[in-house]
Amino acid sequence: MELSILLNTGVTENPSDILIFFGRIHPLVVHFPIGFLILAALVEITTKWAKFQPLKNYIHYLWGLGSISALFAILFGYFLSLSGDYNENTVFLHKWSGVALFLFSSICYYISKRQIKLPFYGKSILILIIVFTVFYTGHLGGNLTHGSTYLFEYAPNSIRSLVGMPKKEIPRKKVTVLDSADVYLDLISPIMNNRCVSCHNQDKKKGDLDLTSYANLMKGGENGDVIIPNDTEASDFYRRITLPESHDDFMPSEGKKPLTKNEVLLIGWWINNNAPSNGYFSQLNPDKEIISKVKNILGLDKNSLFNKKVSPPKKEIIDSLSNQGFILNKLMKDNYYLEANFSLSEKSITPKGFETILQLKDQLIWLNLNHSNITDEYLMKIGQLENLIKLNVSRNNISDKGLMHLSDLQNLESLNLYETNVSDSLLTVIPKLINLKRLYLSGSKANDSIINELKKKNEKLRIIFD
Amino acid sequence: MSKYHNFMQKPLSRREMLDICKGGFGSLALLSLLGPLPLSCGQSERSIINPSSNLNLGPHFLPKAKSIIFLYMDGGVSQVDSFDPKPRLTKENGEDPRKKFKVDATQFDNVGKILKSPWEFKQYGECGMPVSELFPHIATCVDDIALIRSMTSQFPEHTNANYFLHTGSGLQGRPSMGSWITYGLGSENKNIPGYVVLDGGLIPPGGLDNFKNGFLPASYQASILRAGPQPIANIKPKESIPNLQEQKLSFIKALDKKQLAEIGEVDAVESAISNYELAYKMQSSIPELTEFKEESKATKKLYGFESDDPHTRGYAAQCLLARRLVERGVRFIELTCPKVSADRWDQHGNLKDGHEKNAHAVDQPIAGLLKDLKSRGLLEETLVVWTGEFGRTPFAQGSNGRDHNPSACSMWMAGAGIKGGTIFGRTDEYGYRVIENEVSVHDLHATMMHLMGINHEHLTFRFGGRDIRLTDVHGHVIKDILA
Repeated sequence: MELSILLNTGVTENPSDILIFFGRIHPLVVHFPIGFLILAALVEITTKWAKFQPLKNYIHYLWGLGSISALFAILFGYFLSLSGDYNENTVFLHKWSGVALFLFSSICYYISKRQIKLPFYGKSILILIIVFTVFYTGHLGGNLTHGSTYLFEYAPNSIRSLVGMPKKEIPRKKVTVLDSADVYLDLISPIMNNRCVSCHNQDKKKGDLDLTSYANLMKGGENGDVIIPNDTEASDFYRRITLPESHDDFMPSEGKKPLTKNEVLLIGWWINNNAPSNGYFSQLNPDKEIISKVKNILGLDKNSLFNKKVSPPKKEIIDSLSNQGFILNKLMKDNYYLEANFSLSEKSITPKGFETILQLKDQLIWLNLNHSNITDEYLMKIGQLENLIKLNVSRNNISDKGLMHLSDLQNLESLNLYETNVSDSLLTVIPKLINLKRLYLSGSKANDSIINELKKKNEKLRIIFD
Repeated sequence: MSKYHNFMQKPLSRREMLDICKGGFGSLALLSLLGPLPLSCGQSERSIINPSSNLNLGPHFLPKAKSIIFLYMDGGVSQVDSFDPKPRLTKENGEDPRKKFKVDATQFDNVGKILKSPWEFKQYGECGMPVSELFPHIATCVDDIALIRSMTSQFPEHTNANYFLHTGSGLQGRPSMGSWITYGLGSENKNIPGYVVLDGGLIPPGGLDNFKNGFLPASYQASILRAGPQPIANIKPKESIPNLQEQKLSFIKALDKKQLAEIGEVDAVESAISNYELAYKMQSSIPELTEFKEESKATKKLYGFESDDPHTRGYAAQCLLARRLVERGVRFIELTCPKVSADRWDQHGNLKDGHEKNAHAVDQPIAGLLKDLKSRGLLEETLVVWTGEFGRTPFAQGSNGRDHNPSACSMWMAGAGIKGGTIFGRTDEYGYRVIENEVSVHDLHATMMHLMGINHEHLTFRFGGRDIRLTDVHGHVIKDILA
C-alpha cells in the first residue's frame, strides 16, 4: 500500500524528496547484483571440475540473491530516474536491460533450483547472456553518472578511434608573443573554460546553454541569444557577469569564483568588436588599456625573458670567470639563466678579464659586484648585458659618467647603488629603465630633490634612500 | 682491518647484491612499460656543487631569497601581548576562563583568571598593523613585515616543540631545516660553513640536536658561533711554529684518504676531511668576520651597540654578525636568545618583568637589522623569520604568568618575496585558538623553502628505505603572504 503511494507520487511532475533520497541509494545497490551474478557465473564454471562439484547444490542461492538484488536496483534506479537529470535515451536502455537482467537471473534461479536440464547448451548460453547484460547495463549506468566520454577520455588515440571518438585535443600552445594571440581561442575560450563550462557543457546544460564552442555559444540558451555582437547592453551574457554578486541572475552562480575585472573588460571589448570567432587580437586595433589587460591575462606583463630557453654556457667561459674569482650559480632547473657573484672574491679583477662576462650575455640575469673595486669603465661593459634583471654595484667608486652606460638595461628590475657617487645622472638614466621596480640609493650622492623628481616620474618605483 | 671493522660499511657480496637488486629488475621492466615518468623524487635531486664543473647547480626555480635569518624567540612569546591584541581580555580581566570557553589541559595545570595584557597596542605604518609597547622599534618596520597570527604547534612542551620547529618532527634526531637548505643549495662561500647558529647564550631545550644534520651528511650540521672575541673555541692556532699546523693537517688528511681508499665511501670520514679543511680556512675567515672594524658608528648605533642594557648590546652584535654572514653568502643563520636575568620568553610567572627584559634585549637590534638590510639592498634577497615554538595562554598561570599554548602563536616574516604589511590568519576573541587560516610548522617550512627556490616536495633524502623530506607528507606554501 505504502509502496503504491510512493510510486504514485513519483509519476507527478515533482517527485517527493523521499523518492529522490531512495533513488540516490541506487549507485550503492547496483553493485550487489553485479557481484552476485558474476560470482554465480563463476561458480557455474568451476563446478565443471570434480573438486568443486559439491558447490552445485548451492548455486541457486546465488542466482536468487542476484535476482532479488537486481529487483531492488531496478526499483531504486527508477526513483533516481524520476529526477530527470539524465539523458532520456540512455536511461531507457539502462532501465530495460536492467529489467531483462532480472528476468534472466530469475529463470536461472528457477532452473537451478529445480535442476532442469535445458537442451543444446541452453544454460551456458543463458549464463553468457546474463554476463554480457551485466556489463552492458553497468556500462550504461557509468555513462549516465560520469558522462559518455569519461571512460575513453585518457585512452590512447588508437583505442579512441576504435570507439568512434575524435583524437585527443592538443592543448593550444602558450602564447609568448602578443601578436600570435587568437582573439577567441587564446583569450575568450580560456575564460569560458575556466569559469563557465563546468555547468554549461553538452551533458550538463544549465539553462540549455552550452559554452564549449563558439558555435554553441552563439546558439544561445533557453532565453534566446546570450551574445549580441556590438551590443553589450543587449547581451544577456555580459549582463549576468556584470550584475552585483548578490543578484539572483549573477553568473557564475552558486558561489563559484566570479570573473576578474580584466576578464569582464575583455569580454565587453570583444562583444563591442563584433564578437568574432577567430582572428588575431592585435589586428582588431585594441587600445593601450586593453592591450595591457590582455598582457596581464596572458602573463606577458611578467618578464618575457623567461618564456624562452637559453643555451647552456660554454665550459671555457665558466672556467675562465671562475678562475678570476666569480661564483656562478644556475638559477633554475629547467633553464640556463645564471647569477654571477664577484662580491666574495679575494682577488681583484682587470678590465680585460671582465670582458669575458659579455660572453654570458644571454644567460646572465643577476650580477653582484658589491665592494669589488669596479669603476665607470666596467659599467660600459655591464651596460651591454641586456638580460640583467638584478644588478648590484654598491660600495664601488662609480660616478654619473658610469651610470649613463646603464640606460639600455630594459629588463632591469632592481638596481643597487648603495654607497656610490651617483647623483644628477639618475634623472636621465632611471626613467629609461622602464621595468625598474627597486632602486637603492642610501649613502649615494643623491639628494632629496632628485629623489622627489624620480618618484614623480615613476610612482611605482620603490626608492630606498635614508 | 682493525677493531673498527664493525663500524665501517662492508663491501657487498655477489649474493647480497643479487638479493638487493632482485625487486629492481621487475620494477625497471614495469617502468619501461609505463612510459616516461617524472623521476625527480628520490633521484639525486639535490643541487650540490658539481665537482667537475665551476657552475653551481642551483635551486629548482628562480629563488626570491638567497639566505634566511631565523630569529628564534626561545620559550614562546605571548601572542596576546605582542602582535595579536584582544580587547576582550581587558574587559573580562580577572574572570574565570572556564566559564567562558573550554580550557585545555596545560603544562602546569595551574589555571588562573583571564589576564589582560599589561601593555598597550598602537597601530603603526601605512598598513596600520597593531603592535604592543613591547616592540617600539620593530613597530617601525611593520610595512616590511607579514604577520601570521595563526601558527600552531603539535606539542605543548619546549623540547618536542623545539625539535618540531627545527626539524619538522617532534622526536630527536631528524635533520634541522638549516641542514636541509644547505644540503639543497650548498654554500656560496668556501671559507665559512653554509649553516651557522649564532649563540646568544641560551641553547634551546633539546640542545644541539635542534641544529644537527640527522641522517644527512655530517658537513651539513650547524656551526655554532658566539658573538665576541672568541667566537669559536680554538679558532687561534695553538702551534707556535709556522707551518707546523699545515703539516699536521696534511698528514692527517693523507691518513684519512688512505683509509678511505681501503674502505670505500664512508660519510663520516669524507665529512671529517672536508670539516678539517673548512676549519683551517675558518682560522682566517672568522676573525675577519667577527671584528667589526669596518662598520661605521652610525651602523653600530642603529643596531643598539650604544644601549645601556648589556643584553641589547650582545644581541646587537649577533644581528650585525648575521648581516655580515648574509653578505658572505651563508645560507641559513639562526640567532638564539640572550640570557637575560629572567629566563627565556617562558614566563610562567612575572610575565611583565620577564617579557619586558627579553623584548628590550632583542627589539632594537632586530629593527636595526631589518633597516640595515633594507638600505643595503640585502633585504630583497634575505628572508627574516621571527618566531617562538608556541604561544601562551590568554589566562594566567598562578596570578601573573602565562602557560604554554600550542593552539595559537604569532610569528612574522620579512624580506625576500614577502608581501609587507600583511596580516594572515585569525584567532578567537581571546587569542586562545586559531579560527581562520591555520598555519602549521610544515607550512612554514614549505614557505621558507619555496622562497629559496626549492620545491619542498622534491628535496628528499633516502633514509630507512623511504625518501624523506623536511615537511614529511605535509606542508603547503602560504601563498597569501607572498608578494
